[in-house]
Amino acid sequence: MTNRLVQIRDLHKSFAGVHALRDVSFDIRRGEVQALCGENGAGKSTLIKILSGVLEPDEGEILFEDRVVEFHNVHAAEATGVAALHQEATTFPDLNAVDNMFVGREITRAGGLLLDRAEMRRKTLEALERLGETINVAVPLRELPLAQRQMVGIARAVSCDCRLLIMDEPTASLSARETTILLTLVRQLRDQGVSILYVSHRLEEVFETADRVTVLRDGEHVTTQDVNTLDKEELIRLMVGRDVKQPTRRETGSSASDDPVIEVQELTCRGRFERITFTVGRGEVVGLAGLVGAGRSEVARAIFGIDHYDSGHVSIHGQTIPPGSTSAAIKAGLGLVPEDRQHEGLVLPMSVRDNVSLASLQALTRASLIDTRQERALVDAQIEQLDVRTSLIHASAATLSGGNQQKLVIGKWLACDPKALILDEPTRGVDVGAKAQVHGLIRRLVERGLATLLISSDLPELLALSDRIFVLCEGRIAGELDGATATQAQILELALPDRRVPAVT
Amino acid sequence: MNRHLNNLMMLLRQREFCLLTLVGATVAFATAFDSAFLAFGNLRDILVRCAPTAIVACGVMLVVVTGEIDISVGSLMALLAAILGVTISTNEWAWPTWAGLLIVLTFGTAVGLLTGALVTFGRVPSIIVTLGLLTALRGISTLIMGGENIDRLPPGLESLSKVGILGVPISIWAAAVTVALTAAIISWTPLGRRLYALGSSLHSARFAGLSEHRLKLFVFAYTGFLTALATIVDVPRLPKIEAGIGVGFELLVVTCVVVGGVSIAGGRGRLAGVLLAVVLMTMIRPVLTFMDIGEAGEKWTKAIQGMFILLAVLIDSIVSRQTRRGTPP
Repeated sequence: MTNRLVQIRDLHKSFAGVHALRDVSFDIRRGEVQALCGENGAGKSTLIKILSGVLEPDEGEILFEDRVVEFHNVHAAEATGVAALHQEATTFPDLNAVDNMFVGREITRAGGLLLDRAEMRRKTLEALERLGETINVAVPLRELPLAQRQMVGIARAVSCDCRLLIMDEPTASLSARETTILLTLVRQLRDQGVSILYVSHRLEEVFETADRVTVLRDGEHVTTQDVNTLDKEELIRLMVGRDVKQPTRRETGSSASDDPVIEVQELTCRGRFERITFTVGRGEVVGLAGLVGAGRSEVARAIFGIDHYDSGHVSIHGQTIPPGSTSAAIKAGLGLVPEDRQHEGLVLPMSVRDNVSLASLQALTRASLIDTRQERALVDAQIEQLDVRTSLIHASAATLSGGNQQKLVIGKWLACDPKALILDEPTRGVDVGAKAQVHGLIRRLVERGLATLLISSDLPELLALSDRIFVLCEGRIAGELDGATATQAQILELALPDRRVPAVT
Repeated sequence: MNRHLNNLMMLLRQREFCLLTLVGATVAFATAFDSAFLAFGNLRDILVRCAPTAIVACGVMLVVVTGEIDISVGSLMALLAAILGVTISTNEWAWPTWAGLLIVLTFGTAVGLLTGALVTFGRVPSIIVTLGLLTALRGISTLIMGGENIDRLPPGLESLSKVGILGVPISIWAAAVTVALTAAIISWTPLGRRLYALGSSLHSARFAGLSEHRLKLFVFAYTGFLTALATIVDVPRLPKIEAGIGVGFELLVVTCVVVGGVSIAGGRGRLAGVLLAVVLMTMIRPVLTFMDIGEAGEKWTKAIQGMFILLAVLIDSIVSRQTRRGTPP
């Protein structure tokens, strides 16, 4: 018996003539956590889909315990012992947690004819308990918060008896506490002999959890080596193929809040947030920190007029925004880059051009018709500023990588020359290179005087960009920190509800 | 908003509650006119009228739950009735009744399978496929019947409508069995769970390894089979098979499914709501007849059906807007 559980040999895969994977070979050992790193578009997702039976390779083979295996579908992969947690949501919003856990591999009685609902329910509760979650398993998933939905997906993946567990960005929408629990579970599984292939853009997690790391770049295998032999800069260099600076502290402007642009007073929405008061000045970045579910996005949505609130006052440039009036907010010069860019930020089937000009159509309209020449000029200018390849201008937004999509959403708002911008998790699921570009973009905008409210779970990012940071905890402002001197520990301390300390491992 | 109003809103959010209220109000209204409305015979007649719609709605509901639609069942019913007439009428081929019934059931299922194959393997949207079939199947049935009615049906067929088991007409039995079977599929079998999963997220279903083809073939074949069953229990009620049988039936069924609270986007919906909608929609005409307003009753049926549809949709929209405010999504 060798120590190798999986051997990947000379995998090739191309889509419409474009190579997604080229000549990729590496091994996964028994009972190791192997991190899989690479920028968006490096081929990680393709590799994972091949390993889990969603896609079939064009060439090459996979050996599982020294035997060649061919996964024609997900069931074949699961039968061999490969389970996967994919990056895209793979849960069913209309089914409850129990059905989500077991659909496709139901526990049955009466010879496979009937569902054994009691047993499935028991196993679901057990799996969720291992993840430290108490979830209402009777209601459809769409009625649960995003993080809980994500946990159900994770529970599904880890609950099947697998030899290789593939996790693609499992912590992307989890809070710090949930991330800690998940990483603990990953280590437990490894100690039980399960191999884990772990994809994450959060490099801290890679160094904290992985034994070895494999780097892909442009569909090719760069290296597989012990994580101890690398440091962060080196790993990023391997991924990007060039040096990328980690977010460095932005030079903060002078007395910015003397000229308030966004003013929020005593904003209250029962059950969501209470008495939120802050201002964002011209050329200032105000960070909004907090755990998932603390009410950050809800505050942003209320300010922008998507959701109603019970009491309080919002004004932009001294102009009062009536509750629930998104058009008034836009007219006053406010833009929102939402957390869920695919659904709320972009119209995916529409072209890049149409997406960029969407919020500026009023300004582009002459006599009820869109002035296409002016539109073209506007979009070209934005595309150039955003560093998106211009050949993509007629492509549909759905075909763009996550990083380019995010730049597009930001570009949409820049096109209508806003005075203030709310960014909700602007770099979630965005690769290292694109992240640096998004940060650069934010810096340039702020220098030009844009007032920015930044919501982020990525604490280094928040600390690097913010002038001031407000920390939300259970819908209230728990404290205000100076961005120049604050530390991650200070933010976490304020963000955690009383006497709830994260599980330290 | 005070607590009582809140509770009322929660109740109103349940489509079944709204429909039950409407059914109750309609019954009360009719009974106020004439207490004979509640007579056993009358209620039985209403249920008999409901039976074919309820049977086919069970199938179409599952089709809609997977995110597809079937608007061809009216024409399929006409074709199946024509086939039944041609095979067993003593004017035509005069086959034994059981053979005609068997052929109808087989043929109905086969057409359903064909529909499913066009949708899944042909990758044509089901609305287009069934729109085409709606016209095509009607055309074939017209060709078979030559625009005439088919009469001289064997007495064996007519007795099907007369026989009852334990005093209950056979069409009601057929509907009851269909409903029980469909309910069992929905809540007790892996199949039912997978249908809802497929409609809830096609994307996630692929990652869970569900076979989209097989599940969709099943729902269309099931609908085809149930349409055949509905034809068999409905045709014997009349002495002859008319050329216009089943016209508008597909829309009545889809209306019941949607009014019953099944999401047209797939993934959501309960059988109880659909059945209540069937009862509500079917009841309108008998109630109007009972009001004894003659010709006018006939003419008002569609208008009132339409009003109920709009009412159900409107209540839904208002209530969901009220409850969404101030509570997390």
